[in-house]
Amino acid sequence: ASAPALSSQLIVAMATAPHTWLRLVPSCRSYSKATRLYKIDYPWKDEPKPHWVRQFEARRVDADLTPENRDWLRQWRLQRVRDAVASSSEAAAAASPLKEPPAARPLWTPRVSQRCGLVGIKLGILPMWYRNGQKVHTTVVQIPDQRVLRWVPPEDLGNYASLREMRPYRLNQSFLPRWLTQQRWGLQLVGAVPADPANFTAQWCGIFKAAGLPPMRKISRFLVSPDAALQPGACLGLHHFRVGDCVDVVARTVNRGFQGVMERHLMEGGPAAHGSTKFHRKMGSAAGGGGPIYRGKRMPGVMGNRFRAARSLPVLRVNTKHRLLFIKGFTPGPPHSYCQIMDSWMLDVRRSLDANPPPMPTYFAEDAPEGGYPEDVYHPDLLPYDQPLELPD
Amino acid sequence: MPPAPSAAAGSCALSLGSRFLFGCRVTAAHRFAASPVQPPSPLHQQPHLQPCRQGRRWLRPELRGVYKPRLSPEAMKEFWRLSGIGPDHSRAKAADQQAEVPPEIKRLYQEALPPIVSQDYRDPIVESLHRAEMMRRRRVINIPEFHVGSILAVSVMDKHAPNKVNRFVGLCILRRHTGLFTTFTLRNMVDQVCVQIEYELYSPSIVSIQLLKLERRLDDNLLYLMDAPHSHCTIPFDMVPEPYSRNDPVPVNRERVRLNPPPWMCKWHLHGYQGIDLEHLYSYLSDKDVAKAIEFSKAYKRYDLLDQYLNRVPVPDADYAFKDIFIQHQELLQHQQQQQ
Repeated sequence: ASAPALSSQLIVAMATAPHTWLRLVPSCRSYSKATRLYKIDYPWKDEPKPHWVRQFEARRVDADLTPENRDWLRQWRLQRVRDAVASSSEAAAAASPLKEPPAARPLWTPRVSQRCGLVGIKLGILPMWYRNGQKVHTTVVQIPDQRVLRWVPPEDLGNYASLREMRPYRLNQSFLPRWLTQQRWGLQLVGAVPADPANFTAQWCGIFKAAGLPPMRKISRFLVSPDAALQPGACLGLHHFRVGDCVDVVARTVNRGFQGVMERHLMEGGPAAHGSTKFHRKMGSAAGGGGPIYRGKRMPGVMGNRFRAARSLPVLRVNTKHRLLFIKGFTPGPPHSYCQIMDSWMLDVRRSLDANPPPMPTYFAEDAPEGGYPEDVYHPDLLPYDQPLELPD
Repeated sequence: MPPAPSAAAGSCALSLGSRFLFGCRVTAAHRFAASPVQPPSPLHQQPHLQPCRQGRRWLRPELRGVYKPRLSPEAMKEFWRLSGIGPDHSRAKAADQQAEVPPEIKRLYQEALPPIVSQDYRDPIVESLHRAEMMRRRRVINIPEFHVGSILAVSVMDKHAPNKVNRFVGLCILRRHTGLFTTFTLRNMVDQVCVQIEYELYSPSIVSIQLLKLERRLDDNLLYLMDAPHSHCTIPFDMVPEPYSRNDPVPVNRERVRLNPPPWMCKWHLHGYQGIDLEHLYSYLSDKDVAKAIEFSKAYKRYDLLDQYLNRVPVPDADYAFKDIFIQHQELLQHQQQQQ
């Protein structure tokens, strides 16, 4: 849908507001008539949300405390975090006799339902083999303790994504992202990796207080359909994904630092010999043609450290002891980095999910099979290491 | 939430709740063109400023190193301690109570050592998974102790072969990587053609690995045999396995190989090989190359502490790995006895 034109009153409103921190910079070369020539640039453009709240602060050195008392207090704080996590876990909910029976769980609606995802920590790579002898590399991702923090329904997206979160595309291009214009999905905020509250500021801890949760290191958000919405405090666990489900993994790629054009943009460079004078790894011409170089010209700069998605990767194995997912292939990011894992958006995966719906809105204790899960659950095509390979003739 | 900017007189129902500000006409540019960058909130960090001719500019987060979506090692340890899903130290603790780990473990499980990479790329859970899967594979197939310089016979599954099995005998010239990625290369002459095959040690398509001769050479790899006479790597396919004892030290073959005349595949004189006849090698080189080779072989690296630190597994990590493997080795022996 094309965006309506901006009124002059709106421009004046923006101009009179105390947004002196906004700065208009020339935009990149435009290919459509509707693209505006200027875009808004602001200091916290690339910072994670909530950027209006400082997460970490300098540690206070309390000279009145002895080292033993300081350690004791730390252990006491960690035990309280453990108790808070345990009390809100699915096991505690299932064990409580006073809890009301759960409300009717939503059904999986084809072409409508989009579940919440999980926050994972990428650990490393483990090779495995299929039953036909083919090798496959699996990424080992650990699923930490995580709880739902907030649900923002699609109608409130405008209030939530406020002026403070000005994104360049809102003023640069005519077309807003579809999740904003269609208002089909809401935002599910998920907190992961509970930690010692002394690590964080009071404002950061206050974000979790409203949901009755201990403070966590990471806040992520997922685009979720309203029928799969989860209320604050809900528990997200390892079995949210089953063996065989295809997932998308979104993470920040490895930061390769300042790189030249040959590594960054795979340019050719120049000849190594044959009289080449100081032209071996350069860009060459910038194609100005007498005018300015257009914004977005490929040049040396920092490479990596961008959010990228690896699409449609099947989950081949689940380990319940260490809470690990073994995902086929490679995911972006270095070891011990956060990643978002969600049901794949690829069409063939969506169709297979319609045929074999996953636990909606998430996995609960009542979905567990009789006798619980074994320590390792393998995909039927995968060969465990303690079994010999038998090739068909 | 900042207050909505007051709309000028007019009926434009400017509700920020449902509408969005997008696009900006050039007419307003002059209001923003040269404004300094100042955030409204006192909580927000001051942007890092970089002096330059165009005025005050701020550095992007990746150049500042502000946003690092990674858990530090201390944060990972705290997370594992809180949630109880960290690496399993029970086996190492059990090994501590026993006598010292016997030296045969270090000979049998050379690939159990963690890789020599930066600490940022190592994870104890993944390394323990590698070790556990290695021991599970060893319940299916017997992997003997071998070193570079030993002679092996490897049978792999091959659906196109007459017996569905393809057997190759060769001299082990290379053994690299760690854990489940371990590979070894065998070299032999087949119909007067040099053949080198690289096998993955833990691939399930390997039916058997038979040790024909246990031996060690003076070098970590024998890649220089590619430029040596073919007699050095000609091994008969019907070679009878030589008996060996696990308790005896591994015999060292101190032969020095005479290379063919240059051109060579690689500058063998610059890698510190002890298994090459150096006087014969230097006779092929110019004085300048000989001086360079002698300079290299003066072994400055013996005194390079940083080089030793970077190219060595830390001793505590190596001890931990062998302790972990030792307990699993004992479980493997029990399993083999039960099967018999």
